[in-house]
Amino acid sequence: MQLVREMLDAAFSDVGVFDAVCVTFQLAFGATTISSVLGIFLGLLLERARFAGKRVVIRVNRTLMGVPPVVIGLVVYMILMRRGPLGKLNMLFTVQGMILAQVLIITPIICGMTYTSLVSKAPAIRTFARTMGASPMQTQWLVIRELKKELYFAVVTGFGRSISEVGAVMLVGGNIKGHTRTMTTTISLLKSQGIFTEGLTLGVLLLVMAFVIQSLADFFQRGEKTDENY
Amino acid sequence: MRITDLEKKQGDFQMKIDTLVLEKGKIHGIIGGNGCGKTTLCKLIMGILRPDRGTLDYEGLDIRKITMTAQRPYFIQGSVYENICYPLKIRRIRPDEQKIDQWLDRCSLAEKKHQYARSLSSGEQQKVSMIRALIFDPEFVMIDETLSNLDPENLELFEHVIFDIQKERAITWLLISHRLAHIYKMCGELHFMHEGTLLASGGKHEILFENKDDRIRRFVANEVIKMETSV
Repeated sequence: MQLVREMLDAAFSDVGVFDAVCVTFQLAFGATTISSVLGIFLGLLLERARFAGKRVVIRVNRTLMGVPPVVIGLVVYMILMRRGPLGKLNMLFTVQGMILAQVLIITPIICGMTYTSLVSKAPAIRTFARTMGASPMQTQWLVIRELKKELYFAVVTGFGRSISEVGAVMLVGGNIKGHTRTMTTTISLLKSQGIFTEGLTLGVLLLVMAFVIQSLADFFQRGEKTDENY
Repeated sequence: MRITDLEKKQGDFQMKIDTLVLEKGKIHGIIGGNGCGKTTLCKLIMGILRPDRGTLDYEGLDIRKITMTAQRPYFIQGSVYENICYPLKIRRIRPDEQKIDQWLDRCSLAEKKHQYARSLSSGEQQKVSMIRALIFDPEFVMIDETLSNLDPENLELFEHVIFDIQKERAITWLLISHRLAHIYKMCGELHFMHEGTLLASGGKHEILFENKDDRIRRFVANEVIKMETSV
C-alpha cells in the first residue's frame, strides 16, 4: 500500500492523490450501501402502499432524482454548520458529513428506479407467487429475487453518481487535503491551478477504477440470460 | 366450494354471482365470451383479488392446496427444473427427483430439464406450467386457458394426465377453455358466464345442447362454426 501511495504521490503534484483515492472509495461505498438499503426499501414501500397523495410523492421523488448536488450540498452544509440544527454533531468537513450529503442525492435515484421496475413487473410476479401458494413474505422475497438485475442496475447507477459527484462533497467536505479531498475535488483543484494534464490523468484513473469495480460487480452478477423464445 | 352473493367491481367491469357450487372431486368447466369474468373468478377463488361483497366458502380446503395456471404463465429466472421445484421449495418439500423426471419424460421435456425456462417455446412453457402446478399434489386446480397453445397431441397428453390424476385421487378441477370439444370431453359440470354473471350451471349436455338461453346457444353455435372452419 505504501508503494502505491509513493507511486501516486510521485506521479502527481502535492495534492494528496492516494488519500483522495481512499476517501473517494470510502465515500462511494459508504453512501451507496446506505442509499441502496434506504432506496430499495422506500421503493418497495412506495409501490405497495396505497395512500392519498401518492402521485405527488412519486413526482417529488422524480424531481429529487435530478436535483443539482450543489443544492443538496448547500442544504447539508447549513444543517451541519456550527449554528445549524445538527451542528453539535461536528460532522461538517468530515467524510461522514459528505456521506450524508451523498445519501440524500443517491437515495431518490435508487428509490425511483426501484419503484419504476416494481410497478411494471411486480404485479405479475405477485400473482404467480400467490397461484403457487407463497406466503406474503415468500412473495416479497420472490419479487426482490426476480428483479435483482433491475435493483443491481439502480445500485450501480447510484454508485456511478456518487463516485463522479463533486459539488456537494466540495461544499460539505471542504476539500481538505488528506482528510476530505476526493478524486473529483482534486481534479477541480488541479484545474484551478492550471495543471490540466494531471487533472486529466486523474480523471482517467477514476474511470479505470470505476470500470474495474463495475466489472467485478458484473462478474458476481453472472448468469444473465435472454428471455427469447426459440 | 360454495360461492355466494359474490360481487367484484373492476373499472367498468362488474361481476355478480349469486351462487356457484364447485363440487369436490369433479372436473368443472367455465365457458363464456372474452371479458366475461372467467379469469376474475379464478383470481377471486385464488385469493389474488378480494371480493367487494359475498362469501367464498372453501369448505375446509387449505388455500395453499389450490393452484392456478395462467394463459401466459410466469416463469421465475432459472431453469425448467428450478421452476418446477419452486412450489415445493416454498412448502419446504424435498423435490422427488424421480417424480420430476417422470413428469418431464411424459411431457417430452427430459432434455430441457436444465434449460432456461423463459427460452422455451410457448407450448413447452405451458407444459412446464402444468407440471409446476401439479407437482405438489394440489387439491383444487384451475387451468385458465393454459392448454390453449398446445398442439392436439400435447392437449391429449394433458387430458390423459388429468384423467389419470382423477383415477388416482379425485381432486377438483376448474377448466377454462374456448375449445368446446376439449371442454366437452373433460368436464362433467359446466358453468356459463356472460358479462360478469353466471347464466347457467349444470351438466355439460344440458348447458351445451339443451339450454334455451339465446346467449348460450349463440356462443355454442359460434364456437362450433369456428371449430368447423378451422378444420
